[in-house]
Amino acid sequence: MGEVIVITSGKGGVGKTTTTANLGVGMALLNKKVALIDADIGLRNLDVVMGLENRIVYDLVDVVEGRCRTRQALIRDKRYENLYLLPAAQTRDKSAVSPEQMRKLCEELKEEFDYVFVDCPAGIEQGFRNAIAGADRAIIVTTPEVSAVRDADRIIGLLEAAGLRGPRLLINRLRPEMVKRGDMLDIDDILEILAIDLIGVVPDDEKIIISTNRGEPVAAQENGSLAGQAYRNIVRRIMGEEVPFLNFYRNRSLLGRLKKLIGFGG
Amino acid sequence: MHKYAVEFKGTRDGLTIFCLEDAAFDDILADLAERLKERSAFFGEAAVKVDVGRRELSEEEKEALVDVITRYSHLRITEIQSGEERSPAVRATRRQREREELNLDGFQEGHCLVIKRTLRSGQYIRFPGTVIVMGDVNPGAEVVADGDIFIFGTLRGIAHAGVGGDRNACVAALRLAPTQLRIADVISRAPDNVSLPDTPEYAYVNDDRILIAAITAR
Repeated sequence: MGEVIVITSGKGGVGKTTTTANLGVGMALLNKKVALIDADIGLRNLDVVMGLENRIVYDLVDVVEGRCRTRQALIRDKRYENLYLLPAAQTRDKSAVSPEQMRKLCEELKEEFDYVFVDCPAGIEQGFRNAIAGADRAIIVTTPEVSAVRDADRIIGLLEAAGLRGPRLLINRLRPEMVKRGDMLDIDDILEILAIDLIGVVPDDEKIIISTNRGEPVAAQENGSLAGQAYRNIVRRIMGEEVPFLNFYRNRSLLGRLKKLIGFGG
Repeated sequence: MHKYAVEFKGTRDGLTIFCLEDAAFDDILADLAERLKERSAFFGEAAVKVDVGRRELSEEEKEALVDVITRYSHLRITEIQSGEERSPAVRATRRQREREELNLDGFQEGHCLVIKRTLRSGQYIRFPGTVIVMGDVNPGAEVVADGDIFIFGTLRGIAHAGVGGDRNACVAALRLAPTQLRIADVISRAPDNVSLPDTPEYAYVNDDRILIAAITAR
């Protein structure tokens, strides 16, 4: 029996879809069987980020309305045979699905998959209620901005009210050099307000934008991208492993490390 | 036994005559007559509300009440209140009286709500009494109470104590850093660019302004 994890945030544009895609790829790399559900009906993106847009025949609404079997709507990823996507409908809206239908669908997918990630739409309305309906756990994505943190706080409250306990926090797009200058909220500032457990921090990275546009999540690229490494660590934490957090404040250059070694600070 | 059977209070919406809870109706009429005679000139033709407390008055009793007031003063009666319709200002008065009766700094609070979690953005608590939060009140969250508000955590959201008009109400928190503080009809907002205090503080009203003071062990 697998687990359903909803990726949510309240605020839009903080990286829910990118996170969903990368966690899915990261899980698949560890040979887990994973399904991604795009619950953002009417504004689907996950298929684009995964590079699977041209393979969509059936979607989420077709499944819940019984026009096809769940199997038929699931698109297998082009690189990882353990990774599947259930795309959102683009020509309908959030009211096309009910929380009860989502719950049933999640139950069904849990039978077959180790992990099911639900990409939640922004907002706190029906789309949000649908997305969390079948979830066992939640990961809340925020960026180090006051507005995003405020919305994350609201979402945590709503999840508590819905009986979804123990959500974990993913801080996305951290820029260590800005934090150092005091121009950006630090991890501790965010944790002080939200007071929930951290599951990982993903640094801001140009590679994310490039890979998102190409439809190839960074978690797949083993080329030393810090963001990709962060996502892979988060995946292992989801699976219950203890993985130390990346230190973004370390001087990463060889010279810097040497200087530190011989006592010049760094 | 109280010295008086009625009390005169000036509230935001004018003068109110409170009939004390344990006074006999005849005593009320007598006391009212006597004191109105003394103060008739002072009150002039003000509007007045009569609050009869928890007692249910018969039509005759109401007429007797109106009769006494109109005979001994020029006050205009706007309303006779009783039981459940009592305004929060009445509760404030009652609390004040209890405080005096008990001869203590404290008072008996009828209702108290204890919340053992953090209030997050969008969460709203409205309670006709004292509210105690064991946790934080985050920005975007709101606590509104007729009585005092005590927060064992950080207050970053909005707290409104004494919402019914009780200016004696206070707001206390381990760390007081609210977006806005309101006590009765007084509002203040946090100065822009302040850092978190590192000692517990409380806020109270003094001269139409909200003041903040540190809570220290005496």
